[in-house]
Amino acid sequence: MIEVKNLSFVYSPKTPFTTQALFDINLSIETGDFFGIIGSTGAGKSTLVSHFNALTKIQKNSGAVIVDEIDLSAKKIDLKKLRAKVGMVFQYPEHQLFADTVLKDIMFGPKNLGINNAEAEQRARDAIALVGLDCAEIAERSPFELSGGQKRRVALAGVIAMHPEILVLDEPTAGLDPKGKREIMDLILRIKADCPTVVMISHNMDEIAEYCNKIAVLRRGRVMGVFSPRELFGSEELLESCGVELPLVTELAVKLNGLGVAVDKSVLTENELFEEIKKAVGVKNA
Amino acid sequence: MRDVSMGQYYPASSPVHRADPRFKLIILILYLVTVFFCDSFFSFGFMTLFVLITILLSRVPILKVLKSLRLIIIILVFTTLLMMIFYSDTTSAPLAEWGIFHIYLNGIYAAIKLGWRLMLLVLMPTVLTLTSTPTELCDGLESLLSPLKVLHLPVHELALIMSIALRLIPSLIEETDKIVNAQRARGAAFESRNPFKKIKAMIPVLIPLFVSSFRRADELADAMDSRCYRGAKGRTRMKKLKAKFSDFVALLFWCAITVCILFLNYNWLGWAFITALSL
Ligand SMILES: Nc1ncnc2c1ncn2[C@@H]1O[C@H](COP(=O)(O)OP(=O)(O)OP(=O)(O)O)[C@@H](O)[C@H]1O
Ligand SMILES: [Mg+2]
Repeated sequence: MIEVKNLSFVYSPKTPFTTQALFDINLSIETGDFFGIIGSTGAGKSTLVSHFNALTKIQKNSGAVIVDEIDLSAKKIDLKKLRAKVGMVFQYPEHQLFADTVLKDIMFGPKNLGINNAEAEQRARDAIALVGLDCAEIAERSPFELSGGQKRRVALAGVIAMHPEILVLDEPTAGLDPKGKREIMDLILRIKADCPTVVMISHNMDEIAEYCNKIAVLRRGRVMGVFSPRELFGSEELLESCGVELPLVTELAVKLNGLGVAVDKSVLTENELFEEIKKAVGVKNA
Repeated sequence: MRDVSMGQYYPASSPVHRADPRFKLIILILYLVTVFFCDSFFSFGFMTLFVLITILLSRVPILKVLKSLRLIIIILVFTTLLMMIFYSDTTSAPLAEWGIFHIYLNGIYAAIKLGWRLMLLVLMPTVLTLTSTPTELCDGLESLLSPLKVLHLPVHELALIMSIALRLIPSLIEETDKIVNAQRARGAAFESRNPFKKIKAMIPVLIPLFVSSFRRADELADAMDSRCYRGAKGRTRMKKLKAKFSDFVALLFWCAITVCILFLNYNWLGWAFITALSL
């Protein structure tokens, strides 16, 4: 459970370069949510989520963030406990790999939490398996000689091995091919079984519509509102006022509908659209 | 972060900001030399007056400029004190004595002048960096050094290296920031007080940083190659430095100040009022 209250943030305060990145943000992310955060470039998404595990300190008199009873605006925070609780995966996480073997890289996080070698290794091996890589083949290889998609999985595994309760993902599928995107999203769903709360920043509306149950729209540092996918993508006024695009699937459905095909305009996933089209052309389920 | 990328640059619209960086560099050199010729309190005051006028003209808050003195304040106090207690003057009686230390009136004067000189030496370069971007300075330097091409000094390449370095410093800092954050999120102990742990915590940052720097260098080289970059030969500039009338006026003005200081120092014509001011 993450509670954000009246949070503001200013970069380089008191210099000629100051930019206010966040204005009076109020949000509540509950346990079990798949929480999406969307907004155009520079809207403040990354700045917002970097508060969730105290990578960005809350400035004086700029609101509060509370993560499961831990008040992040307090002077002294138990960082170890917080970082074990909130796992953060940054944009292009593969750029943070450093160790000489994949296994050691993944063990870095758990060991920092004070977990002993044997247990850390066990966790690392489980994490490698969970992200769909072959442990025997990959564990002892250098992370630098893997493919881009593999690197990203290893980086994800490095965070999962810390067994977070809240997983924060900053554009986890950026720069991957469609197949890679799908695989990473499936992977995140699998992770969600153990780590109930997921917060995801994405520019891909299809992912957001398909996976998230709540969506916060950020615009120029302000929250325009928190909606369910159906609310947001079903209302033209909302889309207009928030400056959000439709998912491709929904756009397709709207176009088909406009051409007189009897499909529901509010579909959000490929499967839903598939079923609608089947219904429209009269194919019976085999 | 961004304040680093711009050096100390303080954006404002002022005649000092708009001046040609080449002239600013020449004037700075002239100024530094002149400061070494200052000898009397009057000449120090004279120089300080023009420094203040320059600062006022530049529209940079004067506190911002004085902040640069913060860095040298220890050196300043220390050298001034040393000068005061170790100065020896056989022509007058010491004002105070304490073991091997003697304080003379002339020693106090000399110490004040030393401190004043140091302050003057630091202030103007600060004004220069506050009013010109690193890129401007780099271009100015290249243009000033271009006569050395005759000696087969690779001036253009040196300037290119310098400007690439300047351009990449912010990227490097940004990258470091990101990696540090990523490793902190994985529980790395940057906050630890144990110095060994702290050094060890740097390894997970330095390695990805090297990797990405090499990648960046490769990409930059490829990008330059694919745009047919072949060095200085036949290369023109998009932003040509142009000297304005006002730049020449400023230079002449500072030359005049130098001449004044030289007069105050050497008193070639034996004017009595200069002798009177020579304390
Ligand atoms: N380190 C920094 N220093 C100064 N300003 C910054 C810094 N990082 C971000 N900003 C500014 O803060 C604002 C919000 O940036 P942020 O990175 O949070 O945006 P974002 O929504 O994550 O964008 P994107 O989709 O491109 O990742 C932007 O205007 C940006 O210019
Ligand atoms: Mg971002």
